[in-house]
Amino acid sequence: MIGGISLVVWSGVQNLRKRRMDDQRSAQTQAVLVRSPDQTPAASSPLRGKPAPEFTLVDLDGKKVSLKDFKGHPLLLNFWGTYCDPCKIEMPWLEEFHKKYASQGFEVVGVTYDSEVGKAAIAKDTHKLGVTYPILLSDSKAEKEYLSDSEVLPMSFYLDRTGKIIEVTAGLGGKDQLEAMVKKTIAANN
Amino acid sequence: MNLQVAFAATLVALTISPALTVHAQLNMNAPAKKAYVVYAAEPQSIAANKQATLELRFQIVNGYHVNSHTPKSDFLIPTVVTLQPSSGVKTGELQYPKGMPYSFSFDPGTKLDVYAGSFTVKLPVVASAGEHTLAGTLKYQACDNASCYPPRIVPLKVLFNAK
Repeated sequence: MIGGISLVVWSGVQNLRKRRMDDQRSAQTQAVLVRSPDQTPAASSPLRGKPAPEFTLVDLDGKKVSLKDFKGHPLLLNFWGTYCDPCKIEMPWLEEFHKKYASQGFEVVGVTYDSEVGKAAIAKDTHKLGVTYPILLSDSKAEKEYLSDSEVLPMSFYLDRTGKIIEVTAGLGGKDQLEAMVKKTIAANN
Repeated sequence: MNLQVAFAATLVALTISPALTVHAQLNMNAPAKKAYVVYAAEPQSIAANKQATLELRFQIVNGYHVNSHTPKSDFLIPTVVTLQPSSGVKTGELQYPKGMPYSFSFDPGTKLDVYAGSFTVKLPVVASAGEHTLAGTLKYQACDNASCYPPRIVPLKVLFNAK
């Protein structure tokens, strides 16, 4: 009888301990997933400081758009994907800055990495996000030249008015950081 | 080395060297791509000709998460296991675990449904006596807390013995 009660108590304690360990593991996993908003997303890219590779891509209307169309403008070239939530967090910010700094010649161009999902799906996404800046469909040449073997999205390239890449960022950063980069890009070679 | 130890050792090795893992899982001539989810191919044993459940265990590389089977947006790519039919094996509907809520720190208002750490997909089966192999794939799309990576389709094999 006493042995039986002891077994039940021991088993209860073991179950409780296991549940606590599981909860602790879960909490640890959550902690790993949280990143400080002020962490810099600067990426190591061989393109930093070099002229941006030329490209001609099509937009959602089928119109050809080339990098040279933006010559003389400070430009943010943003690679994104429809499956990429962090991309969709920053795209409304890009839209806001596009409008805010348009009078200073600032331009934003989005390049869709997973263009195979089709124009309709991409347009549905960008419409929902309120994006009005040009959205282009990527191709393998542009991906190789800009992203190399990296598959990180979002990836942004900041081009000064001469077409030189002055900064490259990978992943989502803070909105204030992004605006600071936009201002730096506008100020470069002004 | 017992099965549990062997399984744990395999998981540790795969987690430490994810790129090597994928190279082994995919076409050896293809360039190695980083894996974010590793399948732990643990041989299982079930009773022959009786309803049983196989467990497909997956380990997600630390610091990453994948969308659950039922993400909260049509635009997100769900985690999906696909298995090919095999003679002598009758399979039921795959049972996916619930995801956990997750928000990016930059957008705490948007709640996603993800798997992180590890997850197990259950497969109800009735199989004739003998060794069986179910071939299939795992499709997933991984992110960390600031970036996302293209969807991956990884081949997998479910090995089990029905006695």
